[in-house]
Amino acid sequence: MKLIKTREENLEENYLELHYEDIDGETAAVLERLRLALKYIEGMADGKKLTFPLSAIFYFESVDRKTFAYTQDTCIEIKETLQGIISEHKDVGFVRISKSSIVNLYKIKRLQGDLNMRTRIFLKNDECLVMNRGYRAEFYEALKKLRGRQKNETDQ
Amino acid sequence: MKLINKNNFFSIVCTTFTIIVCGKLLFEKCIGFVDKNYSDNIFLCLGISVLAIFVLSLHNYLQRFPFVPVAIGQYIVIIGIVLLGVWIMAHFSEVSPSAYRDMFISVTIPYVIGAVVYYISFFVEIKKANKFFSGLE
Repeated sequence: MKLIKTREENLEENYLELHYEDIDGETAAVLERLRLALKYIEGMADGKKLTFPLSAIFYFESVDRKTFAYTQDTCIEIKETLQGIISEHKDVGFVRISKSSIVNLYKIKRLQGDLNMRTRIFLKNDECLVMNRGYRAEFYEALKKLRGRQKNETDQ
Repeated sequence: MKLINKNNFFSIVCTTFTIIVCGKLLFEKCIGFVDKNYSDNIFLCLGISVLAIFVLSLHNYLQRFPFVPVAIGQYIVIIGIVLLGVWIMAHFSEVSPSAYRDMFISVTIPYVIGAVVYYISFFVEIKKANKFFSGLE
């Protein structure tokens, strides 16, 4: 199976295209890995049903027993619980940072620590979340896994 | 993540106690000091180990509070109990005139070193993570 990467200027969104005659074992394995990353999540906003790929979600937050998913500029109410999201999607970069929120590691721009050892997480959409000390170990463990995955992909 | 739990509490106390006693003996050997209150001090080391591990085990329950007040609060509890212990001991046996100062130093120095290492590791982790995130962009 060949991988052809093409850089295109002014592309609105990155995309993958698969050309095949038959889906062989190798291709199926690649698709299986992608399936996790390209999952979609459904929710409601202003009475309308909206669907977003998981990779577009910046973070999830639970407010008054309701769960919300935030994208670059939209917020949708979803049915899943934070616990459910973590157990299903932690392999695609989601990690818990407080009792009420889960962040997508791929959407983090930078971290900043304060004197009280709370970590401020600045996202790529310039929003800021706060990570409690209690979730630090879990966060860095997830980051370590992601780093390992990135390293493997670069080596390949 | 709870590092100290009821299953490993005593093994952590034993390890800490062994390290403290070995350190004490090594230090005394190096400076040629003979401890006249050897047995009293050994039990004091054990008491401090149990107390310190107990206070540190509470750290997990205090994670939702800001670090600085928690660290200061834990230090005050440890130093308070240690000095109270010395004061009680002074009623039953003879203690050195510098006992309070010595205990203050013995508790404060390791505590401050531990806290500083913990604090530095926090910012080092952030620095490393930021390097990774900037590479991801």
